[in-house]
Amino acid sequence: MYPRAFHYHRAGSLQEAVTMLSQLGDDAKLLAGGQSLIPLMKLRFANPAHLVDLNFVSGTSYIKEENGSLLFGPLTRHAEIENSALAAKIPILHDCAAGIADVQVRNRGTIGGSLAEADPSGDWAVVLMTLSTDVRCLGRNGQRTVALNSFIKDAYTTELAHDELVSEVTVKMPPKGSGGAYLAFKRAAPVYPTASAAVQLTMEGDTCKDAAIALGCVGLTAIKATDAEAALRGKAVTEKSVAAAVEAARTVADPQPDMRGSADYKRTLVGALVKRAIAAAVRRARGEQVEVNHLYA
Amino acid sequence: MNQPADEKNWVGKALPRKEENRLLRGRGRFSDDVKLRDMLYLRFVRSPYAHARIVSVDISAAEALPGVVCALTGAEVVAQTQPFIEIGPDPFAKIKDYPLAVSKVRYQGEPVAAVVAQSAALADDAAELVQIEYDALDPVIDAEDALLNKSVLHDEAGTNQVWNGVFEYGEVEKAFKEAAHIVSIDRMHFHRFSSTPLENNVVIGCWDPKDERIYYECNNSFPSFAIQFLAAHLQVHIDRIRVETSDIGGSFGIKITSYPQMAICALASKKAGGRPVKWVETRSEHITSSAHGNERTFRDTRIALDKNGVITAITSRHIDDCGAYPRYEPLGCVIWSQVFAGVYRFKNARIDFSQAVTNKCPVGPNRGYSRMQHLWFLERVVDICAHELGIPPDEMRLRNYIRPEEFPYTTPNGCVYDSGNYPKMLQLAKQRIGWDEWKKKQAAARKEGRLVGIGIGTTLDSGTNNFGQSQIVNPGLPYSGNSQGANCKLDIYGEVVVAVGSCPQGQGHETTAAQVVADVLNIHPDLVTVRTGFDTERNVHTGFSGTYASQFAVSGLSAVHGAAQKLKAEMKRLGAFVLQTKENDIEFGTGAQGPELRAKSTSKSINYWGLANLVNANSAALPEELYEVTLNCRYIWRAPFKVPDKQRKYGNLTLTYASQLHIAVVEVERDTFIPRILDYVAVDDCGTVINPPIVEGQVYGATAHGIGAALMENCVYDAVGNMLTSTFSDYTPITAMNMPKVKYDHIETPSPHSYSGAKGMGEGGAAPVHTISAALQDALFAEGVFIDDSFNNADSLFRALVAKEISQVGKLVKVEKR
Repeated sequence: MYPRAFHYHRAGSLQEAVTMLSQLGDDAKLLAGGQSLIPLMKLRFANPAHLVDLNFVSGTSYIKEENGSLLFGPLTRHAEIENSALAAKIPILHDCAAGIADVQVRNRGTIGGSLAEADPSGDWAVVLMTLSTDVRCLGRNGQRTVALNSFIKDAYTTELAHDELVSEVTVKMPPKGSGGAYLAFKRAAPVYPTASAAVQLTMEGDTCKDAAIALGCVGLTAIKATDAEAALRGKAVTEKSVAAAVEAARTVADPQPDMRGSADYKRTLVGALVKRAIAAAVRRARGEQVEVNHLYA
Repeated sequence: MNQPADEKNWVGKALPRKEENRLLRGRGRFSDDVKLRDMLYLRFVRSPYAHARIVSVDISAAEALPGVVCALTGAEVVAQTQPFIEIGPDPFAKIKDYPLAVSKVRYQGEPVAAVVAQSAALADDAAELVQIEYDALDPVIDAEDALLNKSVLHDEAGTNQVWNGVFEYGEVEKAFKEAAHIVSIDRMHFHRFSSTPLENNVVIGCWDPKDERIYYECNNSFPSFAIQFLAAHLQVHIDRIRVETSDIGGSFGIKITSYPQMAICALASKKAGGRPVKWVETRSEHITSSAHGNERTFRDTRIALDKNGVITAITSRHIDDCGAYPRYEPLGCVIWSQVFAGVYRFKNARIDFSQAVTNKCPVGPNRGYSRMQHLWFLERVVDICAHELGIPPDEMRLRNYIRPEEFPYTTPNGCVYDSGNYPKMLQLAKQRIGWDEWKKKQAAARKEGRLVGIGIGTTLDSGTNNFGQSQIVNPGLPYSGNSQGANCKLDIYGEVVVAVGSCPQGQGHETTAAQVVADVLNIHPDLVTVRTGFDTERNVHTGFSGTYASQFAVSGLSAVHGAAQKLKAEMKRLGAFVLQTKENDIEFGTGAQGPELRAKSTSKSINYWGLANLVNANSAALPEELYEVTLNCRYIWRAPFKVPDKQRKYGNLTLTYASQLHIAVVEVERDTFIPRILDYVAVDDCGTVINPPIVEGQVYGATAHGIGAALMENCVYDAVGNMLTSTFSDYTPITAMNMPKVKYDHIETPSPHSYSGAKGMGEGGAAPVHTISAALQDALFAEGVFIDDSFNNADSLFRALVAKEISQVGKLVKVEKR
């Protein structure tokens, strides 16, 4: 299938893209990596009258370290993050970038596009929710900064106004002694996960000083599993405390049955993923090199 | 040539594929690459309903769209055509199958109208403007429900039962009376899946008003079957239909049933004044509405065994689901019986076989067609009996296998297994996987509570069909035997050119045909040009030509071999005249001036150019007694078959039986329930191997397809007939990411039925489906789980193991010990 006819606009700058969006109205969509939008247009599920292409705006793809944070340009491709030594300073980011779909998707898809789309099955929101992440938004009235937790409001719904776009993603470097891991189960490489879990732990000896746990694909948005975090925070990481965290994660999960699995199975799966991610996070927090790969059917 | 001039026996060598250069450099020519002048593009408008009456179809808005040339409806098709031929007998012979739905739709995705426009995008736009009103009817999703006829799909038939027949052999009742153990299984189910060729279906059709001929460029994989259906449907002489195929990006049988779309492209071209019309299938169309593999349910299975666990009799009731229209069916109702006994010795059996229509995509012959369902059934029977009786599955097989000294082996239904050695394959597979080591590791893992299983799957890939078996499903059909044509010639300048009626989709026919001819003429295969791809006007096809059903190594290469020998005999005769010697003094080889014929006694020689020149361009120098020498030799190979006994359903249905023995070690993770393949070995026997890497490649491909089918690929419909797996997000075909490392090995038991000892291969009998089911059964029997479905994924294993909703041994399997 081919998309319906649409007008194509090539933005020269992010500011120009904002102006275009504001002039073209609701019938305009931004084209970043296009890995969701183009298939939807080909199936004619999405039929925008105007596409504003960001791909020719220079200086939108970068990874920088500044003031204890990693800064990502909005059009930074997943593959660039996957292959970046700088991004690898936060291992959970590498877990995420290297596991998104397949090579072709990673070469095109962008971190900004993924967050702005807010697909309930997207990977980035789950991972970035376990870190201190800010989303810089550019609109007609200039820049504003929104914490990720308030940026994503619902499935496919964000804080962005129609004529506003993501201009940068800022991730605070975790403190020393912190380690994280992201794990998903996917039925095949190119498809969205059945469930996923991101865990970032800050350890002091055997005690967990701080914990951040987020679950993917088991709710309308990525879910911050605060009870699971509380089950570990300030406690020794033992079989018992981990079991409590897993149980809390299973409880907060709100999966829907679909082709990926029954609700009961997804709940069980997300618990297993949290448990495995905790184990990897603890080892990484100790400074061990641990390779974390998604699970495939 | 740098190659040694007189090297012999190219057959059997790992010759690199001749087609590699073209295909791997992106220089292949596929149907969608073909662009004809004034070409138009077609898009189907498809039904969102599984079962509904069509109230109205309005194409006026679509036709009014600028750039749209015409649109077609079912009513127009009815006015111009005859319904497609039905293979089955009454009452299904009465149904009216048209390439567009007429008064009813019978599956989601069924084409209802077609629009033709100047570009593919415009055709998509126009398709959205076709207004169709439906009145929904009760859908029939399950084949067993269909047989209750509460909602009937085809009013002309008055029933949903397409076919029923009882296949009974031996003394079944006596065997049960004398049995030491009787195992009963309530229900098993073989799931619906399909193939995922890289290239979807493509048709370019052109109905030329000047000479009333229909031209097709397409990727149909059995064109001689398609033209027989099309000629009767479009009411044209079969000679007026020309079909050409180019490179084909995979078929796996699924592209056999593209003739309805071919019909529409011709009718659309006619309506558009003879302009060529191209239809390129989208991936979702391919998944929802090209063709699926047959789904089958096995009910009330009873197995009689003696005290040693030797199976003496099986009775069962099988219900096959062919989707909304039979199309190639009900051939599947007999094709499974090519492997009636599988690899086992039991003599007594009664299978009551039915086929039903349902409101799902029609089925088509999918790699391992109709036989894999039955082989899976037999392997499940063998494994559950082994587990219930406490006999190790390898030992159980050795007790029941047909023995090497029994070949050629006649099965209870009269099929003749040409050759084989299953115990030897088992031994080799066990050795390659490290059976004893794995047994130890399994015992240790079980102590830790891990769910590890080791499974054996023994399967058959029966090749070169006796089409006489079609008379078992419909005694009135005029088909029997099997044949293939080939032509071998010296062209005017002496080039060796071979044409064959196959349409390869990656099977390397150019290479293997060249190897065969090279051996006959004692030249290098590089000197042999092979024309593959179907072309009706090349005149090398018979009614069976195409590429399907594991047969090229037998039927195709036998035809090539026959044609090459005919050419060789003519060359010898001509050579003897030119070199003034006797025919048996002539020697074939390659000299300073290329390939040549030599007189051994005088060392005089003539090269191929000289010979070809004499016949083609210097014919005044040819004596009259050599006028019948044409150096252009057509040969039709015929398989040595008889028409089967239709009453008894008895006779030899297939010429060769390649076999596969796979072993898998699988672990079901306790926390995620993901089944993991820890080790995998595939041992193959396709008789004499013509080109080892080509065979090995086919084994890997078939293994991947089977692993995908066992664990990932499932066509799922909801209760009202919506297909829930219509994109790659939900129908998840296997990729390299999901493939285990496969250990490959092979034995060779040459077939006495082919000139080279080769057997047809490539379907692989869906060996991994049986093998993975066997491994899962081994892992989970102790947990009370019976692997009753051919599709198993993490979710279904969770439901069996934890929720205990499905697949419970206690509920499904009963054992009576006498």
